[in-house]
Amino acid sequence: MKQILVIDDAATVRLYVRQVLEAEGFYVDEATNGLEGLEKALSHHFDLVLCDVNMPVMDGYTTVTKFRQERTLAHIPIVMISTEAKKKDANRAFAAGANDYLVKPVNPDKLILEVRMLTGEG
Amino acid sequence: MHGQPEPVITNEEFLKFREYFYRKTGIYFEESKRYFVDKRILERMAKTGVDSFHAYFMNLRFEASGRELQTLINAMTVNETYFFREDYQFRCMVRSMLPELTAYRAAKRPIKIWSIPSSSGEEPYSIAIWLLEYWPQVDEWDIEIVASDIDTKILDLAREGRYGTRSLQNLPPNLLRKYFKPVGNQEHQIIEDLRGSVEFTQVNLSDRATTRQYRGFDIIFCRNLLIYFDDISRREAAEVFFGALNPGGFICLGHSESMSRISSLFTVRKFPEAIVYQKPL
Amino acid sequence: MALIKKTVSAPPEEHRHSARDLSGLLEQLRSDKPDIRRWAALDLSEHSEAAEILCRCLEEEQNMAVRDALFTSLIRINNNAAVKGLIPLLKSEDAALRNGVIEALRQMPDALAPYMQDMLHDPDSDVRIFTVNVLESLCHPMTPEWLLGVIEEDTHINVCATAVDLLAEVGSPEMIASIDALPGRFANDPFLRFAADIAIRRIRGANPN
Ligand SMILES: C[S@@+](CC[C@H](N)C(=O)[O-])C[C@H]1O[C@@H](n2cnc3c(N)ncnc32)[C@H](O)[C@@H]1O
Repeated sequence: MKQILVIDDAATVRLYVRQVLEAEGFYVDEATNGLEGLEKALSHHFDLVLCDVNMPVMDGYTTVTKFRQERTLAHIPIVMISTEAKKKDANRAFAAGANDYLVKPVNPDKLILEVRMLTGEG
Repeated sequence: MHGQPEPVITNEEFLKFREYFYRKTGIYFEESKRYFVDKRILERMAKTGVDSFHAYFMNLRFEASGRELQTLINAMTVNETYFFREDYQFRCMVRSMLPELTAYRAAKRPIKIWSIPSSSGEEPYSIAIWLLEYWPQVDEWDIEIVASDIDTKILDLAREGRYGTRSLQNLPPNLLRKYFKPVGNQEHQIIEDLRGSVEFTQVNLSDRATTRQYRGFDIIFCRNLLIYFDDISRREAAEVFFGALNPGGFICLGHSESMSRISSLFTVRKFPEAIVYQKPL
Repeated sequence: MALIKKTVSAPPEEHRHSARDLSGLLEQLRSDKPDIRRWAALDLSEHSEAAEILCRCLEEEQNMAVRDALFTSLIRINNNAAVKGLIPLLKSEDAALRNGVIEALRQMPDALAPYMQDMLHDPDSDVRIFTVNVLESLCHPMTPEWLLGVIEEDTHINVCATAVDLLAEVGSPEMIASIDALPGRFANDPFLRFAADIAIRRIRGANPN
């Protein structure tokens, strides 16, 4: 079973992503900010990370940068999910090392497709 | 009896409370703790004179002083300490942190370790015992252990070093024989040598005038204190640790306390034994 | 035995020499050594009149530890000047800085309250989202009312989604109708419907009817 980590400070978003992806047979774990996400990823294996941009303690861009600097995490695909729809935000996400960038509110079908593609499922 | 229905806490209310409490303290209540949690909340509702969970929760959530939250945290936790508590961090100290700290250290500067809050001494003495027993290089380095607490009475107890069975139950019997002597009344006292190896000082972690004098540490243990602090005090505590640590120095928090709720000043480090935080080099 | 006991060694001299009065500290805030700037920033928490300057330093400061210290002192000072200096930084391009501002403002409920309506009506939807983010853990009794205003009036879906998430925690029964009506304003977006249902369930749980 592919393991997904969703990092977002909004409880409803975490719950939603969990519900959508669990129904598709993914295992989902949650973190409420970037630093907590890093800690989780250092202790468990994940196949994909979904990461919000605006979060307390450690924001999304910094989080992605840190993942990329950490030897054991550098290869994990990361999709940033943000409320910011401007082009420069997407560019910044890619510059930090994200594999893709989705804009909220996330469409469930699109999310499933994205996750399947990046985890090599289906 | 007044014929009024006893207040109850519904499932959704429990979930709401659990999320909030976790966010504030890092303490997560499993379903199995439900009875315990409900009971404590209902007790606090009765004491504060509110008869609905909603009203109590709103008070808890929006009280600017955070006083009720503090009281509730106290009710939900046990303020105790004992030898070899959360000993995976001591293992991490001797197997991972110290080898890394000493690998490239040219001058034989002493290694400085700070235990705050030390309470009655179980934690700093455990550190000393772990170093002596399990760190092969212990004889090659000068080591300074500073142990601090806000409470002067508890520091007197710590200096005296007499402990009952409750404090000692995690300690392997051979170490009890080696580092303690029985003093009657089911108590044991730390041997003189070990008592002399820990420096106890009174420190209020929230008092900048005092804490600014604490510098040059390589490892700090701050366990089971920050859960009782409010957000700004935690943040200031993180600043104290940052100022007190050498670059590359480590900080260990209690198991429900994560730096991820406080500050990103430190780097997360995953060692085989534990996750700890490091001041960037 | 190798363990030694020493009295706590004296702190490094450099900081002892430098004055800790306001003008001395402001001077040190301009030092080119990050460590000196950091200690000065922390010491300035005792001078509330420094709030405006601390905010200005935030914009330029590139060292994360110093930036963190500036925020820590501003939160401790917690006055009108601090809030006034922080709010414009919500428009910053720097996500880390913005999030620092959000975290700081969360801890200044009383000083922030007078600005809330303006912030919630800022023309920039990002600023409105960040303002709702501030409400996430603002200890101010008006919070549920402010959030209700957002879900009833705001025209941006992500501002409303952020607000309804919080209402799951702090909403009360009389808000259920508005929450229920929210997804309808945005073509019944599936996420918004989900979020509204969760909020309603959480609120009902508090008051079975
Ligand atoms: C539960 S004990 C923790 C002891 C030990 N670190 C452990 O984890 O077993 C908490 C201690 O914190 C001390 N304490 C409370 N507030 C403090 C403060 N502001 N500064 C320093 N110590 C404090 C109390 O006196 C008490 O001894």
